[in-house]
Amino acid sequence: MSSKGAELVVRALEQQGVEIIFGYPGGAIMPVYDALLNSSVKHILARHEQGAALAADAYARVTGRPGVCMATSGPGATNLVTGIANAFMDSVPLVVITGQVPTTVMGTDAFQEVDVFGITMPIVKHSFIVRRAEDIPKTIALAFQIAAEGRPGPVLVDLPKDIANAVPAHAPIYETRRPKRVVPDAAQVQAARELILGAQRPVLYGGGGIPIAGAVDAFRAYARASGIPVVTTLKGLGSVSTRDENFLGMLGMHGNRAANRAIQESDLLICVGARFDDRATGKLDGFAPKASVIHMDADPSEIGKLRFADAGLLGDLVESLAAMPTGLDIAPWQQWCAARKVEHAWRYDAPGDDIYVPHMLRRLTEEAPDVTIACDVGQHQMWVAQHCHFDRPEQHLTSAGLGTMGYGIPAGIGACLARPGARVVTVSGDGSIMMNIQELQTIKRYGLDLKILLVDNSSLGMVRQWQQLFHGERYSEVDLSDNPDFVEVARSFGIPAFRITRRDEVEGAIRRLLDTEGPLLAHVCIDPKSNVWPLVPPGQSNDVMMEELSA
Amino acid sequence: MNHTLQMNLHQVEGALIRLLGLIERRGFAVTSMNAYTGEQHVEVTVDIHSAGRSVETLTRQIQKLYDVRSVACLTAAEAPAALGGSVAC
Ligand SMILES: Cc1ncc(C[n+]2csc(CCOP(=O)(O)OP(=O)(O)O)c2C)c(N)n1
Repeated sequence: MSSKGAELVVRALEQQGVEIIFGYPGGAIMPVYDALLNSSVKHILARHEQGAALAADAYARVTGRPGVCMATSGPGATNLVTGIANAFMDSVPLVVITGQVPTTVMGTDAFQEVDVFGITMPIVKHSFIVRRAEDIPKTIALAFQIAAEGRPGPVLVDLPKDIANAVPAHAPIYETRRPKRVVPDAAQVQAARELILGAQRPVLYGGGGIPIAGAVDAFRAYARASGIPVVTTLKGLGSVSTRDENFLGMLGMHGNRAANRAIQESDLLICVGARFDDRATGKLDGFAPKASVIHMDADPSEIGKLRFADAGLLGDLVESLAAMPTGLDIAPWQQWCAARKVEHAWRYDAPGDDIYVPHMLRRLTEEAPDVTIACDVGQHQMWVAQHCHFDRPEQHLTSAGLGTMGYGIPAGIGACLARPGARVVTVSGDGSIMMNIQELQTIKRYGLDLKILLVDNSSLGMVRQWQQLFHGERYSEVDLSDNPDFVEVARSFGIPAFRITRRDEVEGAIRRLLDTEGPLLAHVCIDPKSNVWPLVPPGQSNDVMMEELSA
Repeated sequence: MNHTLQMNLHQVEGALIRLLGLIERRGFAVTSMNAYTGEQHVEVTVDIHSAGRSVETLTRQIQKLYDVRSVACLTAAEAPAALGGSVAC
């Protein structure tokens, strides 16, 4: 029996082992939605295509397999754009299927025609327009392969409606080749070994490439065996447990002072799956000024992109790490780092009765070490990165490269669906939550056990902080004191909610979040003037860290 | 710095735009170009200019494009370029 193009799409998804996809229907994608009715693939209806794309992104981060999202042409497709960019910036494997107007009218400004292939070109790893129904099996298979191999990323498949409705004469099943493992160059491995053996003050600088490469265990093993102090980027958090004695903290703009000082002092930076992003390095030519660099990455174009690498190890991080020497003689340096770690340890003895968010977040992960935290963007995101404990990188879902406000709730949804039964908490801000508030209905619809910790400072806190510090306290469009009553908002979506305003209510709120079955929103009201410390001012080098301004 | 790059692409929808878009986005101006379409492939030669970006990094970025079969830089190797003062916000 011959199948329509749309059925071939769904069959190709099944063949890839896809269990869940996220999306929103509409005219041009209707043939695929029709075919889905006969499929084992479960479709999650988000309430905005951006929510679908961001949920698929988080699903991919947690499962390690490509996430899939789908939308119709025109506005459906443009609504996906932020989600695609988010996945691109954080190297997340995503397969995006968009309906398109029929090929016969493409290029005529037909109803809901948008050149999504063109719009997304700078933010996809690759993209296809399917022009013949018989190409569908191959195209979908390639999309999954390209999305996942090497450095992952989003792949778009634009599917015109007439192709989805066409019945091809034959549609061969397409098998993809297995990705080839790239092994690092032997001469570079040797150069790296010599650099490490000659170093007095080496630092491991770990990034999001570690979990992507499946190299968490290898990274930990090397960190432990070598005793080299570890700092990580935002996305690298959890690559070694944040409780590990060798772990100094996150580096960069809102990093820990011990981590930044160790980097600035180091004579050898071993960069593992990180990319010298400006939020991590501060002023680039002042970053680790005394250090040689070993750069390990799966992406050849990252090595040497922003900082010269004395040794560049391209390929499998597991192999590169396994080839590095241990038994180093760096005790004085380890002691210096340990002392800095004690000297700059976070303090939680803030005066007053107001809720101190850093302490609340710390307590949350002390009480629930297994928790997965999905973050939104702003001050609360930085507090999560600074103060929460993570045993594994998959426990920390954060929009790092793009900084997408509105990531938190969809990401929490994706995480709940990726690991049913897992404990997931979205930490959001009063600005961010409104960007995808409609997804509260998705939580309700699918009965997801997602907890939401909404940190409300009645403002766009991170922007307000910059206006205070770098724009002479000229506050422009950051006041959100006219927010809706978030407890009532949640309840109207059928999600129970409660509010706290005082520090002595924090422990009870954490217990309630952890002990309640089903979704729950905690509305946490804090001092609108709270700031994130320390902070490297934009454009400065990482040794210029501002501390809390005395009130 | 001026450079000449020679590329061979699969002749598929979007390949040329994707290539040129990447070159401009990564901070290079195209000062001259020539494209010749064969049966299945496209031969592209471009002259590019950039104030401070590394052409070596650019060629690796081009090489990663799925539709690109080969890329060659026809000008001499350069000293590794460093980005000037931090411009990020
Ligand atoms: C979609 C989007 N728009 C704008 C910004 C710029 N931005 C970064 S943080 C921030 C404020 C976030 O406010 P809120 O969610 O309340 O978190 P807070 O900083 O107060 O913790 C803004 C507007 C962004 N990152 N994303």
